[in-house]
Amino acid sequence: MSIRLLKLAWRNLWRNYRRTFITMAAIAFGYVMLMFVACLMAGLRWQMIENGTRLLLSQVQVHDPGYYPNRPIQKTIGGENGTNVPALLSAITADPRVEAAAPRVYGYGMASAGDRSYGVELLGVDPARERRVTALHSQMVAGTYLSEAMLKKVVVGDKLASTIGVRTGSEIVLLAQAADGSMGNDLYTVGGIFHSGLDDMDRSLVLMPLSSLQDLLNLPHGRIHEVGVKLYDIDGATAVATDLAARLGKTLSVRVMPWPELAPDLADYVQFNRGVTFVLFFIFFLVAVIGIMNTMLMAVFERTRELGMLMALGMRPAQVIGLIVAEAAGLACASLILGGAIGAPLLWYLQAHGLDLGGKTGGVVTIAGVVVGRLWYGRQDFPVYAQAAIGLSITALLSALYPAWRAAHFRPTEAMRKV
Amino acid sequence: MYWRKNIVILCVAITILGTSLPARADDDQSASETVERIASLLVAKSSIATITMQISNETGTHDLTMKVWSAGGEDVLLRILTPPAEANTAVLKMGNDVWYYLPKTNRTVKVPSAMTMNTWMGSDFTVDDLVKESLLTRDYTITNSFHGDRGGVAVDEYTLTPKADAAVVYGKIILQVRRDNQMPVWQRYYDEDGKLVRELTFSDYKTMGGRLIPTRLLMRPTDKPGAQTVITYDDITFDVSITDGTFAVNNLPR
Repeated sequence: MSIRLLKLAWRNLWRNYRRTFITMAAIAFGYVMLMFVACLMAGLRWQMIENGTRLLLSQVQVHDPGYYPNRPIQKTIGGENGTNVPALLSAITADPRVEAAAPRVYGYGMASAGDRSYGVELLGVDPARERRVTALHSQMVAGTYLSEAMLKKVVVGDKLASTIGVRTGSEIVLLAQAADGSMGNDLYTVGGIFHSGLDDMDRSLVLMPLSSLQDLLNLPHGRIHEVGVKLYDIDGATAVATDLAARLGKTLSVRVMPWPELAPDLADYVQFNRGVTFVLFFIFFLVAVIGIMNTMLMAVFERTRELGMLMALGMRPAQVIGLIVAEAAGLACASLILGGAIGAPLLWYLQAHGLDLGGKTGGVVTIAGVVVGRLWYGRQDFPVYAQAAIGLSITALLSALYPAWRAAHFRPTEAMRKV
Repeated sequence: MYWRKNIVILCVAITILGTSLPARADDDQSASETVERIASLLVAKSSIATITMQISNETGTHDLTMKVWSAGGEDVLLRILTPPAEANTAVLKMGNDVWYYLPKTNRTVKVPSAMTMNTWMGSDFTVDDLVKESLLTRDYTITNSFHGDRGGVAVDEYTLTPKADAAVVYGKIILQVRRDNQMPVWQRYYDEDGKLVRELTFSDYKTMGGRLIPTRLLMRPTDKPGAQTVITYDDITFDVSITDGTFAVNNLPR
């Protein structure tokens, strides 16, 4: 294809700028629409995983091999003697994909206040570290989150609080079967109340400082049941878990589980969401393709006379096709850049501020046990954006090629007679 | 003379038939009574006992001594005497409610009834086993399922199957009783699939407080190898008057 042909193509695009802009608008609009859908669906998926893991689960968990899922109190990491917890945590965070790690202890027992009691799950956390791994501290509805300095203050779910009738500042007695079989019991103060939106948690979780729970359960401070790990990239959980298991396994007997193993329901739901996304995306893609084909076909068909004229002047059919393809390619590139330019701030806004689904309550909604906020956040999905760009370019080229090929095969006189 | 002999035989046969028919009908009744009597062996109208509980598991053994007051199986107070770390811890059962007194925090807490099925203080006995009224005759249909010799000892075995509307966790309980002294030998608990889940063995029959009782109770869960709990009666007095206010939530702290 010669430079002269490209020059001609360029001039043609500007000759009838209205037609050019209409075609560009069709492609650019289709592209923005596809990016918008991809962004929202990726956002929904991400939000589902994020919400399913951020409150309590975390994305990867490290346990003693005998601990999960029955959670016997004796099965602490490193066995009866426990382990060097700070060393274990720094070994885990040494992986560049790991954002933070936090130690945990679990206990089962009873919370009691006045003459009301309820069976509870006790979770001991390192407040400073836990803040970086899970987000329960952001769900407080009264009082404050745990603090290392206040060992006798605990945080309870709002439903538990109303079941046993406690408020912040209330006294609460916790009873738990300790590691030595005795009945651990102590007196605490309710420092804060959370509302997670997840029924089980709100009804039966008591959060307390790690060392307080270890004392209640008669566990030495080197004994922990779990390390919760937060990753920079949720999608990498399985790979990180495999690597961590291999690396930690050299010195310690552990089992490392990524969130799809810890929450198979959530993993299934995410997989289902991927299927739905694909179908939805395909429908939107068809809509965009039909719009572009329509505009492009018409734009080239209406130039049949002009192309006949060029051939009458001595242009070969291949050159005519080359000209149209060059025009279409230029047009597609320009349109995608335009679409990208229009889409970028929109996509940025979706990820940063989310789509307000309305609802005056401001409450949280749960779908399949996953908390979904009132705001629907987008998430950039660059591979899909690239696929959409390629798909639309091919559509534009093929839609231009067909009428051009037809025109190029008319005899010039015939082509010139077409309207 | 010959016909006389026949009449005698006939009379004897009629007599045996006549007495054994009602006896058959009474069988379930007497089985219930036996089980009821065994279940209340250690309770009576009122009793005060001192017992030792030895809890063993993979990690070691742990001894508790405690005093138990009971009145009519309805009200029970159990208070730990030693070791010092757990001394004064108390469990009080009044009617259907169960309370714990926790000396460490000086608080009394009410235990939800669902949690009385949990094992107590790391032992293999549940709170229900220790303080709840025996409802065996209310919740189970009792039949005498074996009558004869087991290893040279004449015994009766009673099978307890839950009544349709009974809220119980076992599929079946079998109780073996020696015929010579009417003492229980063992009680085996089966789950709904017919699998043995725990076994309570009675031994060391002694006369204490004017009654013959098994003074050693051994509970062994089948799902925890190496775990067992032994309760030994050091002392028991029956039909004593118990001070008013013994069974009172307010009097739990001491």
